[in-house]
Amino acid sequence: MNKLRACCRVAALLPLLWAAGPLGARTWTVDATGPNKRISVAVASAADGDTIRVLAGTYREGTITIDRRLALVGVGRPLIDGGEQGDVVVINAPGTTLRGFRITGTLVSNINDNAGIKVTKADSVSIIDNIVEHCFFAIHVASSRNTVIERNQVLGDPKAPETRMGNGIHLWHCAGAEILDNISQDHRDGIYFEFVTDSHIRRNKSLRNSRYGLHFMFSHRDTYSDNTFSGNGAGVAVMYSKEVDMRRNKFIRNRGASSYGLLLKEINDAVIDSNQFNDNTTAILLDGCNRLEVIGNVFQGNGWALRLFSNSMTCHFEANSFTGNTFDLSTNGDPKYNSFSGNYWDRYRGYDLDRNGTGDVPFRPLSLFALVNERMPYAVVLSRSLLTQLLDQAERLIPSMTPEGLEDAKPLMKSPHGSIGL
Amino acid sequence: MLKVYKYTLIDLARNKFVGGWLLLLLAITLGLFQLEDQPVKAMLSLSQVLLALVPLVASVFSIVYLYDAMEFTELLAVQPLHRSKILGGQVLALATALVLGALAGAGIPLMLFHPGGASLTLLLACIMLTLVFTAIGALIAIRNREKARGVGLGLVVWFLFVLVYDAILLWVMFAFSDYPIEPLIVPLAALDPIDLGRIMVLLKVDLAAMMGYSGAVYEKFFGSARGILLALAALMAWVAVPAALGFRAFSRKDF
Repeated sequence: MNKLRACCRVAALLPLLWAAGPLGARTWTVDATGPNKRISVAVASAADGDTIRVLAGTYREGTITIDRRLALVGVGRPLIDGGEQGDVVVINAPGTTLRGFRITGTLVSNINDNAGIKVTKADSVSIIDNIVEHCFFAIHVASSRNTVIERNQVLGDPKAPETRMGNGIHLWHCAGAEILDNISQDHRDGIYFEFVTDSHIRRNKSLRNSRYGLHFMFSHRDTYSDNTFSGNGAGVAVMYSKEVDMRRNKFIRNRGASSYGLLLKEINDAVIDSNQFNDNTTAILLDGCNRLEVIGNVFQGNGWALRLFSNSMTCHFEANSFTGNTFDLSTNGDPKYNSFSGNYWDRYRGYDLDRNGTGDVPFRPLSLFALVNERMPYAVVLSRSLLTQLLDQAERLIPSMTPEGLEDAKPLMKSPHGSIGL
Repeated sequence: MLKVYKYTLIDLARNKFVGGWLLLLLAITLGLFQLEDQPVKAMLSLSQVLLALVPLVASVFSIVYLYDAMEFTELLAVQPLHRSKILGGQVLALATALVLGALAGAGIPLMLFHPGGASLTLLLACIMLTLVFTAIGALIAIRNREKARGVGLGLVVWFLFVLVYDAILLWVMFAFSDYPIEPLIVPLAALDPIDLGRIMVLLKVDLAAMMGYSGAVYEKFFGSARGILLALAALMAWVAVPAALGFRAFSRKDF
C-alpha cells in the first residue's frame, strides 16, 4: 500500500516536473465523482506521452480505445465495466502502459473474440497489475512485439459453460513477449500462444482452466520456467514448436482420459529440465518429438509417467526420478531410438556391488503389463495384482515381448531429488 | 448364541495361532516400513502382501479351527440350542479374533507410519476379506467331513481367487478384445473378492491411472465415491452368500 502511495505521489509530481520539459508531457486526472468523469474524453484530449491518472470508482463507458501512446494508471484500483458492448479496453498505440485497474464486462462473441484488454498491432505495450474478472477473453494480444504482461490476475467465471469461455492470456502472432507472475484461472486456456516466438513465460500460475493450463502451437524459441499448472481440464499442450525451453515448472493433478501433465506433439530440440509432475493421469506424452532433453524431472504418483510414442526419436532421459507411478513408461511400438541413462526408478530391484551409486544390472522401464494395458486399457483393473506382478517379473528376467534395447543401463540407487513423499 | 460366542472367543484367545498371526502381521508391517524409505511404497508393498495373506490365513485357520472344535460343536448340538446359534457364535468369534489380530498387527503400525485414506481403505479391505474368507472357510468345514480334504479345498479356493481367476480374466480380455467387452470387466472382477479388495485400494492410490480409460462403466465406477461403496457392497454379498449356504448346510448336517 505504501508503495502504491509512493507511486501516486510520484505520479502527482510528474506534471510539475514535466510541465517545463522539452516533451511537454502532461498528466490528466480522471475522477468518477469530479468534473472529468470519463476516461475516453481524457484519452481523446491527451497527446502522445501523456499520463492519465484514474481515481478509484466505477467507469462505464462501453469500449475505451487507446489510440495514442499513453500511460493509464489506476489509483486505488478503479473498475472499468464495459457493460457487455464488445471489448473493454482496446490498445492500438505502441508504448502504452495500463496499470492498476479492475476490468470486467465483455460481450461474449465467438466472432470478435472480445477481451477485457485487447492489444492489436501495437509494440512495447505494458499491462501490469490489473485484475480482469469474468471476461470472455481476458488479455488478448495480436500482431505485437515486446509486450509485457506482468502481475495481472485473470479470473474467469467458473460457472460459465465452456462455449462461453475464452482464453485467459491469449497471444497470437507476437514476438518478444514477457509473461511474468500472472495468475490465470477458470478460463478455457489459461495461457494461449500461437505463432509467438522468442518469448518468456515465468512464474505464472494457471489453475482450473477448463481446457489447457498452457496451450501453444507454432511458437519457437520460447522459455517457460517456474510456472504452476494445476487442476486444468487437459493439462498443458505444446504442439508443433521448436527450441522450447521448459524448466522448473509444476504440473499437478491433471486427471482424465485425455488429460496430460504435458502433451508434446511434434516438438523438436526442446529442453525439459527440473520440472515436477505430480498426480497426473499422464505426466508427459511424447508424440513425434525429436532431440528432446528430459533431465532432472520428478515424476511422482502419476498414472503414466511417460508415454513415449514410437514416432519419437533421439529423445534422451537422464537424472529423472520416477516414484509411485502406476506405470513408469508406456509405448505403442518400439521407441528404440530414444535413450535412458542414470534415472532413479523406484521399481528397480538391482544391486550396486561396486558402490558407485548406479545399479550393476540395467533396469527395463517398460513392463509387460504396461504393454498389455496399451492394447486393452480396461485391463487397468488388474494392476498391482499378484498375476501382473509375476508376469512383469518373468518378463524382466527373460524379455520376450518388450523391446530389447529399451533400458536404463545405469539406474541410480538413490533419487537425485531426495526422498519425496506423496 | 452370546454364550457360544463368548466361550469360543475365550478359547481363541488361548490359541497360539491367533497370537502368531498378530505377531507375523506386526513383523511384516514394521519390517516393510523400516525397509522402504517412503511410507507410500511400504504401504503399497504391504497391500500386496496383505491382500494375498489375509484370505489364506482366514480361510485355512477357520477350517482348521472348526474341525478341531468339532467335538465341542457336537456336544452343543445335543443341547436344546438352535443350530444356527451354535454356528453363528463360533463363526462370529472366529471373525472377531482374526479382525482384531489384523487391526492390532497391521492397523496400528499403518496408522502410525502412514495415516490417511489409503491406509484406512487397505484396513477396510483386510477386514472385509477376513469376513469373506472366514465365511467360506466355515462353509468348507461344514460340507466336508475330513480335515485334510477341507484344508486342501481351502487352499484351492484361495489359489483360485488370488491368481487363477485373474489369469482367466486376462485371458478373457485377450480372447475377446475385438468385442466390446469393456462393460463386463468390472462386474467380472467383482466375482473375485480378492480383486474387489485390491480395486478398493487401487481407487485410493492409483486413481490417476484408473481415470485414464474413458469407458462408460469405468467412469461411473471410478469417477466418484461410488466405486468404493459398490466394491464394499459386493464384498458384503461375498460374506452373506457363503454364510447363508453354511448355515443351511449346518442346520441339515447329520453328525
